[in-house]
Amino acid sequence: MDVNSNALIRVIDLEKHYGSLHALDGITTEINKGEVVVVIGPSGSGKSTFLRSLNLLEEPTNGHVIFEGNDITDKKVNINYHRQKMGMVFQHFNLFPHMTILNNMTLAPIKLLKKSKAEAEEKAMSLLKRVGLEDRAKAYPAQLSGGQKQRVAIVRSLCMDPDVMLFDEPTSALDPEMVGEVLDVMRDLARDGMTMVVVTHEMGFAREAVTRVVFMDGGKMIEENTPDEFFKNPKSDRLKEFLSKVI
Amino acid sequence: MSWSDFCSKFQTDFIEKGRWLQLANGLLMTIEIAIGAVILGIAIGFVIAVVRSTYDKNSKGIHNSSDRVTIGSVILWIANVICKFYLTLLRGMPIMVFVLITYFIIFANYDVSPVLIAVFAFGINSGAYVAEIMRAGIMSIDEGQFEAGRSLGLNYVQTMTYIIAPQAFKNVLPALLNEFITLLKETSVVGYIGMNDLTRAAILIKSDTYDAFLPLIVIAIIYIILVILLTKLVSILERRLRVSGR
Ligand SMILES: Nc1ncnc2c1ncn2[C@@H]1O[C@H](COP(=O)(O)OP(=O)(O)OP(=O)(O)O)[C@@H](O)[C@H]1O
Ligand SMILES: [Mg+2]
Repeated sequence: MDVNSNALIRVIDLEKHYGSLHALDGITTEINKGEVVVVIGPSGSGKSTFLRSLNLLEEPTNGHVIFEGNDITDKKVNINYHRQKMGMVFQHFNLFPHMTILNNMTLAPIKLLKKSKAEAEEKAMSLLKRVGLEDRAKAYPAQLSGGQKQRVAIVRSLCMDPDVMLFDEPTSALDPEMVGEVLDVMRDLARDGMTMVVVTHEMGFAREAVTRVVFMDGGKMIEENTPDEFFKNPKSDRLKEFLSKVI
Repeated sequence: MSWSDFCSKFQTDFIEKGRWLQLANGLLMTIEIAIGAVILGIAIGFVIAVVRSTYDKNSKGIHNSSDRVTIGSVILWIANVICKFYLTLLRGMPIMVFVLITYFIIFANYDVSPVLIAVFAFGINSGAYVAEIMRAGIMSIDEGQFEAGRSLGLNYVQTMTYIIAPQAFKNVLPALLNEFITLLKETSVVGYIGMNDLTRAAILIKSDTYDAFLPLIVIAIIYIILVILLTKLVSILERRLRVSGR
């Protein structure tokens, strides 16, 4: 296997079957360091399944995911260790409601990176400051707005110093006026050189902050290109049809 | 009963020969057994609940390709069968019968303190009920909580311990309180294995003084007060936990 030194994640012939349904039907792609990849496609096309296969939240039926040179689909690897390096942001935030914002953020660094409480809190506070929420450190998730929750969810992942961030429709559960504040944080991250894979319906985001856009349908990656080409010169009929509906 | 009658009965039942001490010691023993059994019951119940809910989740094929048989899934299957067997057994027989079996059969040839035997019997029994309560609690927690924990790199046990269990525990606190109240009152059968708990103390006083009324009314009141205190304690705990919002 020739290892492209730049490929942070290599996906090889990935398949996921639910009974006779092939949610992922043979996906091969690479995600390079520093890339921001947006995945779009109709509902049920397998976007979430693909994203969740990257950190093995969904266990693929066949195929491989090579992360930083390690085949994490191999049963023998310690998936928990590699997941520390792959942040994930969910549509419904999934903050821990029984913990303060600060404890949400320091739990994993203290338990897994063996950081001291002070060390972990210092990092958490500086990240909270970065997203303008340092005054909410002692609040509980229920006391935050949707946009604030999602910003916290993003920095909670960042506390682990991940090498890649996975986003599954991070703005879909938000009121429209809160979408912007979350996208701003994501743009900021992208500018900082974070490698990101983003499933989203925000075409505005897909056009700007992004190095590559991927179109999925029926469990396959139908087309991928730079945002300019992708939106100006779609090649496949299915993508043309999809774009005509969403834009 | 006239007032002077009452006073003299009270005198013989509780003051004379320091009989109130019997009640006090009985109360102490009842509390000891109950606390020990609650702790053992929670520990056993938690482990079983985790095994059973892990099995339930995995067998629905959410996280595993269900067609793949791994060593882990076989162990889990066996553990689940053992847990179900335990639940069927313990929930099937009257606690009285299990206490007798523990005392006269299981520990017949061992020199173990009676209090420990009682803690064992009631803890094992209570564990079966706590397990089902906790399992319902674990299953009620949104799958996203679990995924968030795992995506941060926490392993299964860490996710359970730090994220799922505390929330589940909060949700099932009222049901657990009921179980603990039942447990506290059920300890009154330990007199049958020769232990001088609160109920037995009253019976002994009654056979000494030939007065059933006062000793029984007094221990009834003591049990009621214990249950009121326990309820109070749990509601304080509930209020503490509710600070964290939903
Ligand atoms: N646990 C599951 N069991 C059975 N089928 C599933 C499961 N999860 C997903 N699927 C199916 O797999 C296919 C792909 O689902 P997926 O969630 O990846 O789509 P998606 O592109 O993310 O859609 P959406 O835009 O609606 O989020 C769908 O047909 C879905 O019904
Ligand atoms: Mg989806």
